[in-house]
Amino acid sequence: MEFEAPAVQLGAIGPEIALVTTALLLLIVDAFIPEGEERWYLAVLATIGFGVAIILAANQWGERELQLARMVAVDNFATFVKTSVAVFAVLTVWLSRDYLKRSEDEESEFYALLLFAAAGMMLMASAADLIMVFLALEIFSISLYVLVGFRRRSLASQESAMKYFLLGAFSSAFFLMGIALVYGATGTTNFYPGGGGEGIAGYLVSSAASDVDLLVLGVGLLIVGLGFKIAAVPFHMWTPDAYQGAPSPITGFMAAGTKFAAVATMLRLFVVVLYPLRADWRPILIAVAIATMLLGSVLAVIQEDVKRLLAYSSIAHAGFVLTGLIAANDRGLSGSLFYLATYGLTVLGAFAVVTVLAGRKERNVTLASYRGLFYERPLLAGALTLFMLSLAGVPLTSGFVGKFLVFGAAIQAGYWWLAVIGMLASVIATFFYLRVLVVMYMQEDDRGLQPAITGRLANSVVGLTAAATLVLGIVWGPLIDLAERATVFFA
Amino acid sequence: MSNFPFLDVVIFLPLAGAFAVGLIPRDNDGALRWTAFAVTLVTFVVSLGLLLNFDSDAAGFQLGTDVRWVKDWGVGYITGIDGISLWMIMLTTFLMPLAVLASWTITTRLKPYFVFLLALETGMLGVFSALDLFLFYVFWEVALIPMYFLIGMWGYANRIYAAVKFFLFTVLGSLLMLVAILFVYFNAGEGATFDYRALLGTPFSPEVQRLLFLGFFAAFAVKVPLVPLHTWLPDAHTEAPTAGSVMLAAVMLKMGAYGLLRFAIPLFPDAAREFVPLVMTLAIIGILYGAAVAVMQKDLKRLVAYSSVAHLGFVVLGMFVGTVEGMSGGILQMINHGLSTGALFLLVGALYDRRHSRLIADFGGLSKSVPVLAGIFLFVALSSLGLPGLNGFVGEFLILLGTWTAYRWWVVPAAFGIVLAAIYLLWAYQRVFHGEPVIEENRVMIDLNLREVSMLAPIMALIVLIGVYPKPFLDTIEPAAERTAQVLKEGSVASRDGAQQLRRHIVAGPLVPVLEED
Amino acid sequence: MTLDSYVPILFLIVLSTLFAVASIWVSSRIGPRAPTPAKLTPYESGIVPEGGIEKQRFPVKFYLVAMLFIIFDIETVFLYPWAVAYDNLKLFGLIEMGVFIAILLAAYVYVWRRGGLEWVD
Repeated sequence: MEFEAPAVQLGAIGPEIALVTTALLLLIVDAFIPEGEERWYLAVLATIGFGVAIILAANQWGERELQLARMVAVDNFATFVKTSVAVFAVLTVWLSRDYLKRSEDEESEFYALLLFAAAGMMLMASAADLIMVFLALEIFSISLYVLVGFRRRSLASQESAMKYFLLGAFSSAFFLMGIALVYGATGTTNFYPGGGGEGIAGYLVSSAASDVDLLVLGVGLLIVGLGFKIAAVPFHMWTPDAYQGAPSPITGFMAAGTKFAAVATMLRLFVVVLYPLRADWRPILIAVAIATMLLGSVLAVIQEDVKRLLAYSSIAHAGFVLTGLIAANDRGLSGSLFYLATYGLTVLGAFAVVTVLAGRKERNVTLASYRGLFYERPLLAGALTLFMLSLAGVPLTSGFVGKFLVFGAAIQAGYWWLAVIGMLASVIATFFYLRVLVVMYMQEDDRGLQPAITGRLANSVVGLTAAATLVLGIVWGPLIDLAERATVFFA
Repeated sequence: MSNFPFLDVVIFLPLAGAFAVGLIPRDNDGALRWTAFAVTLVTFVVSLGLLLNFDSDAAGFQLGTDVRWVKDWGVGYITGIDGISLWMIMLTTFLMPLAVLASWTITTRLKPYFVFLLALETGMLGVFSALDLFLFYVFWEVALIPMYFLIGMWGYANRIYAAVKFFLFTVLGSLLMLVAILFVYFNAGEGATFDYRALLGTPFSPEVQRLLFLGFFAAFAVKVPLVPLHTWLPDAHTEAPTAGSVMLAAVMLKMGAYGLLRFAIPLFPDAAREFVPLVMTLAIIGILYGAAVAVMQKDLKRLVAYSSVAHLGFVVLGMFVGTVEGMSGGILQMINHGLSTGALFLLVGALYDRRHSRLIADFGGLSKSVPVLAGIFLFVALSSLGLPGLNGFVGEFLILLGTWTAYRWWVVPAAFGIVLAAIYLLWAYQRVFHGEPVIEENRVMIDLNLREVSMLAPIMALIVLIGVYPKPFLDTIEPAAERTAQVLKEGSVASRDGAQQLRRHIVAGPLVPVLEED
Repeated sequence: MTLDSYVPILFLIVLSTLFAVASIWVSSRIGPRAPTPAKLTPYESGIVPEGGIEKQRFPVKFYLVAMLFIIFDIETVFLYPWAVAYDNLKLFGLIEMGVFIAILLAAYVYVWRRGGLEWVD
């Protein structure tokens, strides 16, 4: 038997390789530095790693091919997601640096796991095979399980990590079962036809696809697995606990990155590959989206903890972005991309403010502790106001444009009633965003809440995300233009 | 001078002023107040340029700008005014300096206060000038935020409840409008655009029109407000600081009525015609209900708030009877209500500053200690209840005339509303200013000072001017009113031909000068 | 392909479960019972047990070492098939294995420097 060396196109996963290499480097370098030293270089190295990854990812813009044994798609879509995730991660690194500064938790593992998680999310975006999707999913999930429990002295953190891990493992099993069923039905795990196989997409257009019961069952299980990652109802149970217990910068990164990576896979899988099957998956996703929007918004109303409030808000947002996916048209694709990119920046900013106020001890995270923040720290309160308004979808913020785009797509696809339900959920959601504003502006308090973190890096993260939220809400043309060009798939 | 972009300068001058105020140190009260006053005054002066350059005979929209905002999505920064928006803008810029003067009594957190007040002005002016549905929606919501903060941060005891209620009601309506806007956008056929002028005359089947009209109507009916969507209004008006109440009543409510005229009727005339009986019924209920509830109020500010419900009922009635008289009367009455109710809120605010109470029972016999205040209050109350010779009469007369020609007996309940208005206003005046003072302190109240008189005097002058010589106002209003009335009467977008005819009818003549074409 | 083709698997699952349950049940019923103390002690490679093993506590280090052993032990298993197929894989195989070993080495250095291999602190 003659062995034929496969064409190894490492450039396809260049960004991921850059991140993993940086992570290994971090682990080794840190191992040789004695304890008790200033560990500023960890954040610097991680930033450099992400910088390289962004450059490598950006260089793939315009390419359009399948590589690495047809497992990885190199297209604008993947590039868009990869770049966004890397940007989220860089901001998280900066925030974490001030969060961890001079603490026993400031260790190479934190940054290394962050790098691994980001690498997994990036891989997820370009995965063109269900096995690759699973691999990427596990890479970032396992990293996040550890990161959630990184506050080693905190029982809450441990508990939430445990919960996240157990439920996550459960959902992974569902996902795996889904892959098995899809394979059983189609005889392939590959997305696209070519290279001797027809792929799932090819199978669906071929005549063999007359009986799709098993495939639909498998797709249903895939929805369970991915729905868990994006925190869609009824797979959302872990979200509030994990968000509350995790270190605040990590919570922000989870909300921004996990959601983007998982929805990216859903977009590629459902809107592109499984498009001929939309009559089957649409009703499921519509039910999920409606439940997610309404339940997330309603349950957020009664939260007293800011991190839990933002957790429920992130559940609601998962529902909003699903409407773009359900639309399954060009505007839905580009709208979802825009939505997730801007939502990520906004939610990172919101958690950056939470981080700055709470500090490493995670104090002052109740809504009541934000009383009169505007009078103590007008700029911080102003930034949080901007984030809240953006999450609520008020014009001149990026959140409004995102909502406008995905609901627009749904209306274009004929689902105007879904948009109406979404708007009603938004009104409910507006109520709890207003609660935050009420507490900050309209209730006075002489306790004099002071930020626990005063580092320049953390503040610059707040500033940058606030600026992005505002600017992308006014000048949204260029980004939506990019997002539209990013809907060029390998297909 | 006609090339000077008056409209855009007027819209954004207050926002620039807000930034300027933001740069002033927060404890420099004098500088903050005078800067805000200067900005609003200059805005008013510039807006006079609009008045001078406005051509009442020209059809379509004038003095505007047309710049692309987001090309791919057909979103543009498109502004322009006609006879309706002109007066709404003038009303806003005219009342704003007076509202700033009324804010002299605000002593805490002046800096954010004036920032919000000025941002509010930009939002409201934008609503009246936007000719792009996306832009309109943006301004519509942007006007909401500062008002939310004004009520919530500087209002009275129950301010937070009022602010949140105000916000949620409005957002509920406007999000439904957003769905309708998007639906129009995606179904307008040729070339995706939010340009109102291009979207006019988009054919829609009657069923679709009905839903779309309801979408827009939800937003506007909440804002007007029409019964039963009015419940936010008494709370918001009562709890807001004086300047907030003035702008809320005088301008913000008009945003709803304006939206009906500008968007809901011309875009979906068949559905609008279908809903005329319903809207008229709601308007009549509003007139009677608002007036009846006002009679029973113990709180003076709440009384004025409920009188707004009644007055806006008149405005909507006039707009929907489908006659030129009714339409012109409705539009004129929007100005009148802005002036008289604005003045009433200023006066109630002045009373509150002196006695820290708004309860009618806490006053009595004030006419001896504060004769000027009492006199002005009586004057404004008479204007508000429609005494001939003052502004309110002209508007209400035109509305009743228009109603009479179209619907005859509908005028009876409406006229009864005027009687009720006389009752609640004069009875309140009597209880507050006449009789023997119940409480000793009322004997030694300080009368209006120069600042307060100077903020009331311009309003009184206009009240008289419109009352005796409404012609210049009506001359500019009528062409636009006539066009809209005719659309409501016989316009139709159910068929393609009718739709094109309607479009030519409204945007006939030269379009807004195009600054940038691509 | 339909669900029908999975029916044999389902049948197999049911059958094997039944068989397992049945054989345990039957043997417990019909098997003779003659317990002696020697029979009841745990088997420890022929040495007489010290007793009370279930009450002893192991230091957590045992687990750490055991896990590290398994990780590195299993990884070396990959070297055998690679060595057998080396002639076919040629340079490609060498490079791939180099990458693999490098990652393993990084993990090893990390574990070593972080004190994972020290028995006494």
